[in-house]
Amino acid sequence: MTVDLRKDFVKYAKSLNAASEDKNIRTAISRAVTSYRNTVSETLERFPHTPKLAEEVQEIKRQSIADLDNLVKQAMASVERNKGKAFYAKDHQAALEIALGLIGKGKTVVKGKSMLGEELHLREYLEDNGNEVWETDLGEFILQLRKDRPMHILSPSIHVPREQVAEVFSKFFNKEVPPDIAEEVKVVREFMREKYFTADVGISGANVVAADTGAMVIIENEGNVRLAIGAPPVHIVMVGVEKLVPTFQEAMKVAEVTWRYAQYGVPGYVNIVSGPSKTGDIEKVTTYGAHGPKEFYVIFVDNGRNEMAHEDKFSEALHCLRCGGCMYECPVFQVTAGHFGHTYMGGIGTIWTAFVSGGMEKAAPLVYSCLRCGRCVERCPMSINVPAMIGELRERIVYGKYQE
Amino acid sequence: MPMVLDVISENIIKHGSPLALKGSEVASWAKELNLPAKGEVLFYTGGEYQMLPFIDSLVKTITHLDQGSKVFSMMMGARNLINKTGISPEKMYASVLAKDKDRYNSVCLKAAKLLKELDYEFCYSGNEELYSGALLYELGYLEDMKDYVKKVVEVIKKSGAKTIVCLSPHAAEVFKFVYPKMIEGFDFEIRTYIDLIWERRDKLAKLKSAESVVIHDSCRLARELGIHQELRDILLSIGADVKEAPMNREWTSCCGGPIKILFPELSHVIGGRRVSELKESGSSHILTSCPYCLSALVGGRVKGDSAVIEDLIEFLYRGVKA
Repeated sequence: MTVDLRKDFVKYAKSLNAASEDKNIRTAISRAVTSYRNTVSETLERFPHTPKLAEEVQEIKRQSIADLDNLVKQAMASVERNKGKAFYAKDHQAALEIALGLIGKGKTVVKGKSMLGEELHLREYLEDNGNEVWETDLGEFILQLRKDRPMHILSPSIHVPREQVAEVFSKFFNKEVPPDIAEEVKVVREFMREKYFTADVGISGANVVAADTGAMVIIENEGNVRLAIGAPPVHIVMVGVEKLVPTFQEAMKVAEVTWRYAQYGVPGYVNIVSGPSKTGDIEKVTTYGAHGPKEFYVIFVDNGRNEMAHEDKFSEALHCLRCGGCMYECPVFQVTAGHFGHTYMGGIGTIWTAFVSGGMEKAAPLVYSCLRCGRCVERCPMSINVPAMIGELRERIVYGKYQE
Repeated sequence: MPMVLDVISENIIKHGSPLALKGSEVASWAKELNLPAKGEVLFYTGGEYQMLPFIDSLVKTITHLDQGSKVFSMMMGARNLINKTGISPEKMYASVLAKDKDRYNSVCLKAAKLLKELDYEFCYSGNEELYSGALLYELGYLEDMKDYVKKVVEVIKKSGAKTIVCLSPHAAEVFKFVYPKMIEGFDFEIRTYIDLIWERRDKLAKLKSAESVVIHDSCRLARELGIHQELRDILLSIGADVKEAPMNREWTSCCGGPIKILFPELSHVIGGRRVSELKESGSSHILTSCPYCLSALVGGRVKGDSAVIEDLIEFLYRGVKA
């Protein structure tokens, strides 16, 4: 063994035990699990073509991951053709520097929820470099104020009950906010509205990207993303390269499967953005920045994904749509929430931790807390065989077969 | 690397048992049956049921020794800990309650008697039988396993059997899916104990009254091996009233057993939740068909909970005895 993992193990085991005794986590997760299972089975009944479509998407993802380099090139060219600017970031640091280069200092930034953002610690980095950054997703905003980390990839503040939200809000807004969910939502809506229209930059991720058109597809319910990327004069998309598929039609298929398994049923909003806002209404002269952003940037981030794509035993992990369904089915996650995770969570998150966010040292304790029970595979619309990958990671840990 | 894992893997490789149990101990259940060592069908226990009370003892001993940081103790490894505190493995093993040892040992005996009752003929490797190495596969010791399986196959071959009947789904899983990749010409027919019972279920003794039971599907059996309807067929054929838990068959919830050694507290929480989920079926009589599920569910049951947790073998055997 090259790494002494004992200290990490002790700390980690303590956090798991503490989490499993946390009543907030227990109540919230069991409520979430029941609601997830009900919504998904209901919507699958309503849209019975979904499992078949999911199989089709599996194939689309397989081919896309096998052709990643090409798709990146194609997508970058498409973005440029649309009068946007495209960047490729090899790693974590490059991604942050490109973003900072575009934003500069002393700016106000509004941001949509993004796991890539978490992976890069984007908000913290921009703040440290003299910017004001606001998480516009309600759950992320709560965590921003609490200086807390997400406990689920789609419902980040799943562990925080309304009473605690009221406490945090009362302190932040410097007025009494009652523990009433509607009131809590309202107070954030009023606060954020002003931010959208005074911000210099809006940042979002994307759920899927079509290489042929350069279309970024962003699924949401709150409506925060469309404001955050529509109102400010600059829109920056930061997206992992694994989100690329060849065509717009295929992107729609991926999007539909994603939202169906992500418990949206039918999502409130699906944003499709391919370039800056423009008009030709006066004398047919194209002018940019009509109502929406004048500038449109896309940063395609690799950060370990390409390496993963070239590993036969792990490339499938890049098919993950981030629907979060597997986490609700994971017996360990059900009692510990995001504590079974580093940035990415649960079994699939363990694989992502090893390759993309944290490395093998951070992944090792997670690798050994997976039960390898396989229920995540039953749920996964991409049938990703996480237990097999966990087995492979264990072998690498046992024999020290990995790069530092 | 948690050292306890190294200890377990070493035990398997050196002694053919994760806890270094002696062959004579593992095979003691079979004394009264005088099973032949050779035959067409090999009855394979892998020493897994026999090992269960010792695993619990290992966890308990270590928990007792260092209340403050159980996991840390686990990671120092049983052997270091035992050396440091002057507790011998023999003493630790001796601390296992006789009734627990008897219960788990007798699962093998009852299983064998049931097969005889159904007119199956089979042989058993006795003292020589070796553990399948499933934990080496589970924990990532695959290179070590490649050498180890040779020894296991040698013993199996001595029996002259063409078919291996596995009592534990974990053994069936590795024989079916892992061994063929590791060793050339591993062409035995691999069957689970459940398969054999299912085939002749009509011959099983019927229940006197329709007892209500609920099945805890084991992950390996239900998902890897695709066996879940068979369990229901068997129980229905003897006249049991089979209730269903909310999550069952290929959607079954894991018992928490696989992380028992490294994260014992968490494993208990997960086991306890599964027991509650099973009881939502309306029956508190839980039946399972995997040694680790049996042990984990019993361990996870909350103090004072009146739920009965049995192996399917124990339940069926009562009919034979009657």
